[in-house]
Amino acid sequence: MNNYWLKRLLSSLLVIAVVLSLNFFLFRLMPGDPTSSLLDPRFSPEAKHELLKSYGLDKPLSQQFFIYVKQMLTFKFGISFMSQRPVWQELAERLPNTLLLLFPALLLSAVLGILLGVAAAKGRGGLVEKTVLLSGAISFSFPSFFVQLVLLLLLAHAFPIFPLRGSLSVPPPVGFWNLVTDKIWHMTLPVASLVLLGFGSWALYVRNLMVKALGEDFILLARAKGIRESRILWRHAFRTALPPIVTIFFLSLPGVISGAVITETVFSLHGIGKFLLDAVLGHDYPAAGAAFYLMSLVTVACNLLADVVYTFVDPRISFRRLR
Amino acid sequence: MSFWRLDTLFLTFLVLLTFIVSPMLGPANETVAPPFCKPLWLDPASGRPLSLNAKDNILSFTWESKPPKAFSVKGTVSFEEVPKDAALLLVSPKKTYKLMDLAGLKNLDVDIDSRDVPLKLHLGLNPFVEVSSVIFSEKGTYSLYVRSDVKAHVNLNINIYTGKWGIFGTDQRGRDVFRLFVQGIKISLLVGIFATLIASTIGMGLGLIAGYLGGLTDSSIMRTVDVLLAIPTLPILVVISGVWGRGLWQIVLVLSIFSWMGTARVVRSLTLSLREAPYVEGLRALGAPAGYILVRHFIPEALPLLLAQTVLGVPGAILAEAGLSFLGLSDPLMPSWGRMLHEAQVFGAFTGGAWWLIFPPGLGIASLCLAFISIGRRFEEMADPRLKEMTGR
Amino acid sequence: MLLAVSLLLPAQGKAAPLDKLRLPNIDELYFLIIKDNDAQLLALQGGQIDLLGDIARFSDIKSLSDDERVNLYLAEGYHAFYLGLNLRKSPWDRTELRQSLWEIVNRKQIVRDVFGGYALPLFSFLPPASPYTLSASAADFDIKAAKERLKQKGWRWSKKGVLICPGEADPLPKMKLLTPTAQVAPTTAEIAERICESMRSLGIPIETEPMDFSMMVARLDRRDFDAYVMAWELSRDPDSLYAFYHSSMDVPGGYNISGIRKPDLDEALESLKYASNEAEARVAAEKVQRLLYKYIPQVPIYSRYHIAALRREWKGAVASLYMTPDNTYSLLSLKHDSKRTFYWCLSEEPRNLNPLSAASAYEWQVLSIIYESLLAVDPFTLKDIPWLAKSWRLDTVTKGGKEKTRITFHIREDVKWQDGSPFSASDVKATIEFLKKFAIPRYFDLVKDVERVEATGNTITVTFSGKSYWYLHQIGGLPILPARVLSSLKDWRNLPEGHIIGTGPFSFSAYKPGEYVKLDKNELYWRKNIP
Repeated sequence: MNNYWLKRLLSSLLVIAVVLSLNFFLFRLMPGDPTSSLLDPRFSPEAKHELLKSYGLDKPLSQQFFIYVKQMLTFKFGISFMSQRPVWQELAERLPNTLLLLFPALLLSAVLGILLGVAAAKGRGGLVEKTVLLSGAISFSFPSFFVQLVLLLLLAHAFPIFPLRGSLSVPPPVGFWNLVTDKIWHMTLPVASLVLLGFGSWALYVRNLMVKALGEDFILLARAKGIRESRILWRHAFRTALPPIVTIFFLSLPGVISGAVITETVFSLHGIGKFLLDAVLGHDYPAAGAAFYLMSLVTVACNLLADVVYTFVDPRISFRRLR
Repeated sequence: MSFWRLDTLFLTFLVLLTFIVSPMLGPANETVAPPFCKPLWLDPASGRPLSLNAKDNILSFTWESKPPKAFSVKGTVSFEEVPKDAALLLVSPKKTYKLMDLAGLKNLDVDIDSRDVPLKLHLGLNPFVEVSSVIFSEKGTYSLYVRSDVKAHVNLNINIYTGKWGIFGTDQRGRDVFRLFVQGIKISLLVGIFATLIASTIGMGLGLIAGYLGGLTDSSIMRTVDVLLAIPTLPILVVISGVWGRGLWQIVLVLSIFSWMGTARVVRSLTLSLREAPYVEGLRALGAPAGYILVRHFIPEALPLLLAQTVLGVPGAILAEAGLSFLGLSDPLMPSWGRMLHEAQVFGAFTGGAWWLIFPPGLGIASLCLAFISIGRRFEEMADPRLKEMTGR
Repeated sequence: MLLAVSLLLPAQGKAAPLDKLRLPNIDELYFLIIKDNDAQLLALQGGQIDLLGDIARFSDIKSLSDDERVNLYLAEGYHAFYLGLNLRKSPWDRTELRQSLWEIVNRKQIVRDVFGGYALPLFSFLPPASPYTLSASAADFDIKAAKERLKQKGWRWSKKGVLICPGEADPLPKMKLLTPTAQVAPTTAEIAERICESMRSLGIPIETEPMDFSMMVARLDRRDFDAYVMAWELSRDPDSLYAFYHSSMDVPGGYNISGIRKPDLDEALESLKYASNEAEARVAAEKVQRLLYKYIPQVPIYSRYHIAALRREWKGAVASLYMTPDNTYSLLSLKHDSKRTFYWCLSEEPRNLNPLSAASAYEWQVLSIIYESLLAVDPFTLKDIPWLAKSWRLDTVTKGGKEKTRITFHIREDVKWQDGSPFSASDVKATIEFLKKFAIPRYFDLVKDVERVEATGNTITVTFSGKSYWYLHQIGGLPILPARVLSSLKDWRNLPEGHIIGTGPFSFSAYKPGEYVKLDKNELYWRKNIP
């Protein structure tokens, strides 16, 4: 058992190493350099060279690579080209906003989707199942920006219930609870849009799992034993479906950050997604490199976490452990 | 099981539309009308476009509808001698407007458009005003003529635009949006189907090999899967589109490269479980080569599930392409629905209320995805009959 | 076709005469960060912002022109959009082809269709708002004349309508027009398509090649292109001409992207660059432009109007033919019946509120309110007006056999820094010397030729290593920083927020990333002392 975990850890480290090197070369593969966007006839070639020097880009590539690796391993990410501020500061400003957006959205979509999926499996053949299947499919099918822009126009302009942009009012309200309510009010539309778009795939998937689980023989046995339906549903069928659900939950965490780009653009939120996109487009190597690195770490960590939690949640494995 | 259900009918309709109707419509990238025209059926009280030629000094016409969106006067005016006092006038029931001063030259090219800011300033109007609504504010008789102290030869065309065109209007380049919409069907289908097909093929191939061979091959394939999963997709797509350029096949390839991992994992676990089956042991004992076992036994077992996965993966690919187009990362010459939405948003269709530019492609994407999900579910039910949507308890 | 200044309209706002400006009537100034165009429009209409600058989309202009609560303003600017050619390659090295290209682009129709009329067809090599612009009676759209000119010089057309160079047997090969993608500049992509269509109608087989902006710049740097389109934000001075058209700038990273090398043009450009006073500068500028009209290294297409919107409840905006109300003078004169807080839209994150390293227009939108320069620009005449310097004198001295420019500035005596300490000539000296000593990239070219700086009392004298009239604007436009702050800086790239101290009418108060930047009224502002 320990051998298995050791091997997993080592392979994860290998993955991180490969991704690290890949990131370095991938960015520099893109033609152009950080001065490319500074197109101004008053910026002479000499001035441009001075700028490149101040970024440390006049050093030979191998030296740049070593500096890069050192920075990544020690988590000292250097200075962003575009803003001349420490990359850590930029990330620290933006990460909370992205997390505040994505975590509630992911949790709420998963919970809503699970509840609907279970309800659909329970009410098989009835209106409930039909509604859930249809609404789930619709939720999955609409492009995200479409729904978000329509929501914005409807609920922030036509009927100005929610704010148009940002995560805080200007000037920010005073007092802790006022701040909290203000934040929630601002995040409602973005989170709601993500939940509307996200519950569909959860609902459909959970419904499939539950239907399969309810069709198993042990359920028939439980019914024959006279156990209550709701207990069968949750303690037996759902418990069986739980491991894949948990796995999918952890595996969907990393992908969600990429999806934040569009939401952050539409709602003018100060988050990581847009930051990353701008960094890549603007050849901001330190910022882009650091963001990529962190996201890769999160992905690898989530993969490991998924495996760990799986062993706790899968009844067959946990029984084996208890013995 | 009936083949002709709503979803397949819908898809057939779309395919017919795109392959039979679209060649009849003309090239999608052609400029057909002024930009930002509204659909013809919207607001019927706005009158019909007018195009008249003035060969004599005076041209009279009537205008009985709402003020038009724009008008233009183009052509040539030549005088027998250089005039000391000459002007091009447009007379409305209430006022006379001097469009252009013609004195001092013997031959003149006239190119006047109501959108020109210099014209607005010349007429003493605010540069943000719509000149045609000011001039054509009354219903009645209008005339266009050249007033001069010398004889003039006039060859002018006056065009009055109502800003309407076609079924869905025009976009910012004056292209017919309906043509673009129909073209978009083809592109969404192509991208969705091919990206998923390629991804599934790669996934199935690598999954089978990894599951069956095990050992080092298995580990290396799984590590590659992990590496690819650890790379954030969107920024990589930006980099790749920067290096490879944009185009239909670039997008298809890029989408396939980043979506085969799921299929590979599923196929691999299926292969692992099948490998332990007794009949496989028997086959191996009989000396059957690995390839034979894989092709003649595993693939047929895996096929229903794979088919379901593929069809269910198509909506994902279509949505991914829409997302990429929305961020501007797709080929600008390729009128996919995502691209249409991107251009609509960039040019202010959402806040400008031009819903005919937004709902067709948006609903198009959604209904196409719904159709594929519906078909995919039926394949799923074929693979695992327990999942059938029952009609009664 | 030229817009006369006299056609200024009442809708442009009653111009407050500059000498009446004292302290602002605004106590708090918020720059609200709104990145999305749609959100900006909705915020303006909803009253969450009061001023929105740089409105580019036709649909926004249309919505706002119908809106009673908002006033729209229009101004000519320094924007210029060119069709660039690679004169090092055939067929672009042929002057008659370039002259014909000038005539086949229907600029007026482009302006009408793509901008709804809200741009100026451009027929000059300097932007419309520049005082040095020479407009020739340039030929407009005339395909017949273009073809005729080519025919006379020996060009023929193939059966498919493709041009054949005189002396060649084969028609022109397929070529590409590089253009930034629609994501960066949507209208640019549209215009590029139209230009290609026009060129194809003349017989040039060319197609657009959209690409990422930095990739495009990399190709241009490598001189690996046929033609390209690019929008430039130029300035009041014609110094861009040297960068664009002098042969010495035809180096990697240099701006002579077209590759034009003509000795007479070089000579005229040098006399422009090293002109010793305004009169010489005008003569030289005219000479340069006449030569440019002959050689046509680039084809000017259009110049965008600056369009801004201000909510009607705020009165007293300073606007002219050359400036929309989004400027410092307006902030000094705008008044509201009841409100004293003003909200201005900022379209992008100002990452770096450090005048030493700030590079984007958005950062400067904020910094130009906090920091000031020795000279300012009159919004109505575009002439230099005294600001931190109450007077100045330009001399040419001869030292060691070489002619050098020497500028003497007399600084105002009553100016205070926003933290209360007095402003003096030593601050100016410290700023210039700091920029030069640390070779700060953004100011590298501006202070490169500074030889010596002397500060005595309220006078500062700057001597340069060469002679040029433009030194006046280069030094006169520098933002002045306190000597105290400069000497305490460990790394010029890192300016702590507490050290953002200028002399301007508003001082830095707070920056909430992603949300807003807040400035407070500077009660010590020097204009309050003007009688």
